Amino acid sequence: MNFFIIFLLALIIFTSRYLFLEGRLPVRLGANARDFLRFSGPAVLTAICMPIILVKDSELNLALNNPYLGAAIVAIVAAWKTSNIYWTVGLGTVVFILYGSF
Amino acid sequence: MQKNRRVYRFAAFKGAFDMLPLSLAVLPWGVLFGSLAVQRGFTWLESQAFSAIVFGGAVQIVAIELIADNASLFTILFSALVITSRHFLYGLTLRERIKGHSLRWRLSLGFLLTDELFALSGHRRAYKSRLRLYYALGAGGSFYLAWNIWTFIGIVAGASLPDLTELGLDFAIAATFIALVVPSIKSLSVLVTVIVAGVASVTFSIWQLELGLIFSGLLAMLAGYSVNLWERSR
Repeated sequence: MNFFIIFLLALIIFTSRYLFLEGRLPVRLGANARDFLRFSGPAVLTAICMPIILVKDSELNLALNNPYLGAAIVAIVAAWKTSNIYWTVGLGTVVFILYGSF
Repeated sequence: MQKNRRVYRFAAFKGAFDMLPLSLAVLPWGVLFGSLAVQRGFTWLESQAFSAIVFGGAVQIVAIELIADNASLFTILFSALVITSRHFLYGLTLRERIKGHSLRWRLSLGFLLTDELFALSGHRRAYKSRLRLYYALGAGGSFYLAWNIWTFIGIVAGASLPDLTELGLDFAIAATFIALVVPSIKSLSVLVTVIVAGVASVTFSIWQLELGLIFSGLLAMLAGYSVNLWERSR
């Protein structure tokens, strides 16, 4: 029974990922739809990472002793100045670890 | 132009390397899933099968809790559909880039299309060359491998490990996404998108809204799209 459910779940998840990659699916994206979808990257990535930074146990944590916030600010400045993923992740992580050792 | 296998292998390794922070960031969740599944009475094989064939992160954790609580099949599948709904958006976004590739590429990249792989899909030329396809395969495949290894560790050693989700490894997700988003803010419309996404996602997260991620994403896209229209009409 469990394997039956696992199989159904796999089917749902895979369908959600694969469906629109299938060319024979009769969906044509017009210019407006493409313009709209152009914003999906920044929109979804921001929506995933901001709650990690600012929300703890369903509460807003804007305090400067919030290591996620302090390190995120450093990472934002690093990303802005260097446009380099390695510098950004590296510097942000160093600050995050320093927070933990104080 | 003929490119040899070494070049493709290098592209795949580059993908795996770029994915590394994200692969590490989900370690606590993979371990948590594995140990939780065993605690809830699933066999080792079933627990590993979740990660190997469902490959779904939050969906897996919610599903085992629901199954253990004897929830109806409909509830289980519907919850999965709600949580996974954002992937339809990823597929739509990448449709024009991927739909022309062979079935083998479509199936494998489709299977691997997680939040994390989508995050690394923002490059202007992503999926447009064979080299870029191998890059994505290396990124997505290494993440799949990592998720399954973390699950295995959770299954085998879960009960004896402390809660790793408080370690802060998820900061790597935040840092990587910042590194990907910030340089893409080159216009007012993208700036507005990011601000709306940030405010909405934090608000919905505080409200503990189940569909908060997809709602805030769509709201932010609408805002960016509108500003873009307004900019062009001036």
